[in-house]
Amino acid sequence: MSSQLSKYNLLPWMVLLLVFSSCKTTYYQSTVTNKQMLAINNQIPEDSIISNYILPYKNQLEDKMNEVLGHAPEALIKNRNIPESKLSNFFVDALLSIGRKVDPDVQFSLATKDGIRAGIKQGDVTVGSIFEVMPFENYITILELKGSDVKVLADFIAETNGQPVGNVEMLIKDKKVQSFKIAGQEIDPNKTYKLVTYDFIANGGDLVRGINSPTYRLTTSERVREGLIDYVKELTKAGKQVESKLDGRVKIIE
Amino acid sequence: MEELKSLSRRNFIKAVVSLGAATTLSSIPFFGYSKSKEVKITFLHTNDVHSRIEPYPMDGSRLQGLGGVARRSTLINKIRSEEKNVLLFDAGDMFQGTPYFNVFDGQVELELMSKLGYDAGTFGNHEFDNGLEGLLKHFDKANFPFVTSNYDFTGTIMEGKTKDYLIFQRDAVKIGVFAVGVDLNGMVDPRSYQGVKISDPIEVAAKYTHKLKHDLKCDLIICLSHIGYSYETEKVSDLMLAKNSRHIDLIIGGHTHTFLDKPTEVKNLDNEITLVNQTGFSGVNLGRIDFILDKKRGTKRSIATTYSIDKSLDSNNVKIA
Repeated sequence: MSSQLSKYNLLPWMVLLLVFSSCKTTYYQSTVTNKQMLAINNQIPEDSIISNYILPYKNQLEDKMNEVLGHAPEALIKNRNIPESKLSNFFVDALLSIGRKVDPDVQFSLATKDGIRAGIKQGDVTVGSIFEVMPFENYITILELKGSDVKVLADFIAETNGQPVGNVEMLIKDKKVQSFKIAGQEIDPNKTYKLVTYDFIANGGDLVRGINSPTYRLTTSERVREGLIDYVKELTKAGKQVESKLDGRVKIIE
Repeated sequence: MEELKSLSRRNFIKAVVSLGAATTLSSIPFFGYSKSKEVKITFLHTNDVHSRIEPYPMDGSRLQGLGGVARRSTLINKIRSEEKNVLLFDAGDMFQGTPYFNVFDGQVELELMSKLGYDAGTFGNHEFDNGLEGLLKHFDKANFPFVTSNYDFTGTIMEGKTKDYLIFQRDAVKIGVFAVGVDLNGMVDPRSYQGVKISDPIEVAAKYTHKLKHDLKCDLIICLSHIGYSYETEKVSDLMLAKNSRHIDLIIGGHTHTFLDKPTEVKNLDNEITLVNQTGFSGVNLGRIDFILDKKRGTKRSIATTYSIDKSLDSNNVKIA
């Protein structure tokens, strides 16, 4: 710097230095000029370096996702506007079976209509199909509930025009519980009941009531999705198909 | 000098400007060069990409056909070919959302971000989905740093793996970056972040903005945030952070999957504007914000560290490109 300065009159420099060093604010000031949100759509060609990197992973993933686990003789269609569907019954019956492997005393199962994310197409049921049904990393969770809390849960299910439940029969009228039975038995408010669901619901997801003060809770490290994959594999092994029926377990009466 | 010191701030600025003008008129080549010297810093950003490696399939869903890392790469490369000083940041939740994460445990996301030349990232809650072990598993695949100013990993396997802040130098512009993450309590399985100490984002911001501004003399301060844009409750958010902090030029946000057409301008504690931006999620957008930094007339870089210009000069003396 001194060599540069020596070419010029040093006085203004000295003045500048003294003046400016007495100030505190920054040397630069910034102005925002260009604020854009750029959409990533099909107008932008793919960078082949990146798509070539992705390709082997994509192929490997497709191989894995395309692995056939079982067979569905008919489509299980997602419909959240009905109190029970073949899809929801399949899901909670699987959940009950998975839960009973963890704890044989599990009496009933619960999911939510919003938590089952997709239907199962007719034909081959693949790992990818199960990912679509249950993309989340939710874990099988066992809750022991007081009978009085089960009644609160029943009220919630009635108010929401039915939710997927296993080993339960219930009648709903005008969003009120007409009857609610677990394994054919009325609820005794002084007894406890073991429920299998998953951690998202147990932690307050979907605002399910009646399950927030369990007398016991076990959050397992088994993902619901993995449980479902094993369940379908076992069905196939036993010569069974991925199917379900409407058995009137949740009925809305006029 | 006594006289100068006694001048009011406004007059002082005028004095400075006229001095600058005078020296310029004396046609010292040096000042002629400085006069037009502007530096543009282009920030590109993503958040909540959630393992969306390929574009959404054409399945009738709301975001069908959008996103895709290979396209994002093309766009970023194009901008890099047009602009000299590009910085690319991510605000967390790189992981979880497609089987790419479930099957490859984060390797693909981190390798792709490295190939795209990300300059820094931070952690969202989903980075903890497979626990600290899961986070560490492919952490070495990232060739860029992660900033996590309010997460303390001391005593965990992630200790020393992330930075509290970062400094970037571009054309003599010093850019300071810190980051705040969401409170993981109730959001992540407690087992998955055992031993991680989480501090209040506003307190942490106060600490690091002071350090970056006053100790490290940064010209721009950027906050990568995964605390969320805003809430109806009192939960701390980007808007709240912006309002209750100083010196942050831009908060690059995430977590709430908020789509913004343009950054939100928030007045901070010093009544200055802090920008808050977020790109939605799944990499369907790329955010871009350019800051132009103006070197005043009659200045030279080598004295820049002590040279000061008040922002009130903005209206009458700053040419905006």
